[in-house]
Amino acid sequence: MDSVAHRLSAVGASAALELRGVTRLFGALAALTDVTITVRPGERRAVLGSNGAGKTTLFNCITGDFPPSSGTIRFFGEDITQFPPYERIRRGLRRTYQISALFPGLTVQDNVYLACRGVSRGRFSFLRPGQNDALMHATETLVQAVHLAGVKDRRVAELAHGQQRQLEIALALAGAPRFILFDEPAAGLSPTERRELIEILTSLPAHIGYIIIEHDMDVALRVVESVTMMHNGRIFKEGLPREIESDPEVQELYLGGGHE
Amino acid sequence: MARFIERHPAWALIVIIAVAVLAWLVFAIWPPGLEAAIGRKRVFLNAVLNGITLGGLYFLVASGFTLIFGLMRNVNLAHGSLYLFGGYIGYAISTWTGSWILGFIIAFIAVALVGVILQLAVFRRMEGQDLRQTMVTIGLSIVFADLMLWVFGGDFYQVQTPSWLIGPVQLPLLTAIKSSGEPVYLQYPLVRLVIFLASVVIGIAMWLALNRTRIGMIVRAGVDDRDILAATGVRIQLVFVLVFALGAGLAGIAGVVGGTFQSLSPGEDTRFLLASLVVVIVGGMGSIPGAALGAVIIGLAEQLGSVYIPTYAIVVTFLIMVLVLALRPQGLLARR
Amino acid sequence: MSLLQSTQFRPDPSTSTTRRALLRAWPEFQNPAAWLVALILVIMPLIANGFFLIEIFATTLILGVIALSLMFLAGYGGMVSLMQLTIAGFAGYMVAVFGVSGNANISLGWPWWLATPMALALATLFGTLGGALAVRTEGIYTIMITLAIGAAFYYFTNQNWAIFNGHTGINTVATPHFWGVDWRTDIAFYYVTLGVAAICYFAVQYVSRAPFGLALQGVRDNPRRMAALGFNPNAHRIAAYAFAAFIAALGGVLQVWNYRQISPGSVSVGACIDVLIIAVVGGITRPIGPFIGALIFVLLRTFALDVLIKLGLDGNRFRLLIGLGFLAIVFWSSDGVIGLWERWRRRNASSTQRSGGGRHG
Repeated sequence: MDSVAHRLSAVGASAALELRGVTRLFGALAALTDVTITVRPGERRAVLGSNGAGKTTLFNCITGDFPPSSGTIRFFGEDITQFPPYERIRRGLRRTYQISALFPGLTVQDNVYLACRGVSRGRFSFLRPGQNDALMHATETLVQAVHLAGVKDRRVAELAHGQQRQLEIALALAGAPRFILFDEPAAGLSPTERRELIEILTSLPAHIGYIIIEHDMDVALRVVESVTMMHNGRIFKEGLPREIESDPEVQELYLGGGHE
Repeated sequence: MARFIERHPAWALIVIIAVAVLAWLVFAIWPPGLEAAIGRKRVFLNAVLNGITLGGLYFLVASGFTLIFGLMRNVNLAHGSLYLFGGYIGYAISTWTGSWILGFIIAFIAVALVGVILQLAVFRRMEGQDLRQTMVTIGLSIVFADLMLWVFGGDFYQVQTPSWLIGPVQLPLLTAIKSSGEPVYLQYPLVRLVIFLASVVIGIAMWLALNRTRIGMIVRAGVDDRDILAATGVRIQLVFVLVFALGAGLAGIAGVVGGTFQSLSPGEDTRFLLASLVVVIVGGMGSIPGAALGAVIIGLAEQLGSVYIPTYAIVVTFLIMVLVLALRPQGLLARR
Repeated sequence: MSLLQSTQFRPDPSTSTTRRALLRAWPEFQNPAAWLVALILVIMPLIANGFFLIEIFATTLILGVIALSLMFLAGYGGMVSLMQLTIAGFAGYMVAVFGVSGNANISLGWPWWLATPMALALATLFGTLGGALAVRTEGIYTIMITLAIGAAFYYFTNQNWAIFNGHTGINTVATPHFWGVDWRTDIAFYYVTLGVAAICYFAVQYVSRAPFGLALQGVRDNPRRMAALGFNPNAHRIAAYAFAAFIAALGGVLQVWNYRQISPGSVSVGACIDVLIIAVVGGITRPIGPFIGALIFVLLRTFALDVLIKLGLDGNRFRLLIGLGFLAIVFWSSDGVIGLWERWRRRNASSTQRSGGGRHG
């Protein structure tokens, strides 16, 4: 009975990502309380909220960096609540980090190559990639796509901040992503770099959905079709970008409230 | 306690049964069938008491080790050297002055001083680099071992037990009933009991100091979250020095105890370092009650093992460590 | 748009990029000093007598191989394992137990070509299981757990007589004879160790740039991020232990052939720590480090006695010298002797540059 229900929900999955009643406690402190969100495949959504609203904790629960205390998470119909992070990534989930989480001792190319390797076979291969290795070409292409071809042999520690942010995005695009979580991708970027970022985001293939956490409303509201507002670990409001923008409560709480 | 039973009813049941069986084995008169199967009760009781008193000694060594690790993330692999150094000092002082107690006091002070010097001159300079600190402690243990070999040679030393502690004492534990119906009570060396009681007192005193005094609160907060220390504006360096001195001093006292129980010779430093490692891995890093529990478990396992399965005694100790790592990698009583 | 669609394009690899890739992969090939060292090692039997060949160079290569396994774990995986010598010793014991030795009541008498693979396989299994235990916790705990494993094995070999023959150990272990050659004669054995050491060295160098090695370095730097890229960090760590255990086991087999006997003294805690000292003194960031460290260690161990006595000091203070030297390296160089050497060269280079610039200006 249960397995039938499970299969039905898997077959008829209309949601890319479905969170039900997700709660995360740190000791006595609730970082997330009863969060329920459904995101369609290909949907692009922003999560807004002041610092401490639980946005990054939400991402960590979705990717499994730390599992939710209660509630369920489904990814394209499959219950992934108990999966370790790498199993989720292998199913097409990706994320970027608010503070760049790269491998500073390795070159740009090695970083991207690792990302490509992580979601394909041969993670334990003892053979070095040859010239015609498909993943090497995927790596080259990705490096070019995020405008880092000129520095591909440099160690990541030597890159400028903006370049590191671009590399962070490249890692999330490796393989065949189905859904991406962007955690403040525009943080610390110059206006030019922001324009490039918007271009990269809007030119992603239509089947790739994402959730973006972003403080810069100009960036956030331009690249999404729906918005979720969070406050104190709870969902506070959901709607279209312009509804949220003009909502007096939101204005009070977030846009004009002086929260930083 | 109640929460533990609530959360792990199966484990609680196993623990309760084990304690009950042990209590029965200790207090009941053994039926002849049991004596035929595993030997005489006196042998068993002696092994248990030896195990528990050895556990007391292990606790003295390991509590300093775990305290230093908990607060400073410094895996002090020279801890065994501090133990042996304390033992030699205690031996030298007690033979020179004839006072066993004075041996303890001087050993504590001398080894604590070494600890203070190490913390001020070496470890303060590499705070936060735990791997490098560990490497330094390895180098120090080699240097100390060779220096002590130089001064004291390869001989065995035994610290003289004071006359008022020599001799066995009769314990209210029945070992057998003679055919005449006369009960036979267990005879046990007084000095081991006294030392065990002393280590219990020291353990309780440490627990009280950690839980009831201001500086103890600071240390405990630091063990849980080291960033808190910096935030509270405490003179963190002073706390570090004090803790290192205390941990080292305890190792020094343990050395005198070990020299009285057993003997002092090169190689004992490694043995007691290993014992501390296993005790804190089993009990949980940074936890004083964990060190106590781990020490008793390992002491008992070693003594019972050497009586009943002599060629595999070390395997028992090791298997306990493996089991704990497999089921509860953070240790039995660690918080995280 | 082009992002995920153009991955199929394959630009023609030009010869120059092939060459560049080769040089990047094998930096030794463009270094004349490396060629010189290789040449000297190969013609060593013409230069050195039997004592130097075995007591210094073969011993250095064997210790270097064992320390190399630690370098691989520590340098690429960030896991400082103190049980590498224990794994090597276990392999040595297994050669003695399965093969032929003077203790006929223990040894099973298998031919060497059967006993050696068995020993390698069992020692690799031993190292993998130990690794699986050690990765249950992280960071500095690794040292403690592996040290505990090493010490437990040492005490166990002392206590156990059925397999390990207690503290006397197993003596007159047979060494291989085939193709009409006694492979334990000085020159033949030297080439065997040189061959094994070279294979291990290049294997580690090669794997460090293969997907497995890269992923291991990723796990070292940021395990959480690796999991978010689809890797299972602990599986990689355990695989690294298995690979390192195999290398250590090779060293252990050579060691038991070298001394023809094995006893608890060969796997003592001090010996375990010596391997760490060798790797750290040489430098744990590159595979050449352990061999340099091993050479220094063996030279000190062999000649410190004479030198100390000549200087009018106590000849027995060899361990003190080792300890102080190790402390000095840990204090002043994060990358052992190689690190010191490179720092010195950089300083020299910059000072000549400066003086040269001054002359021109």
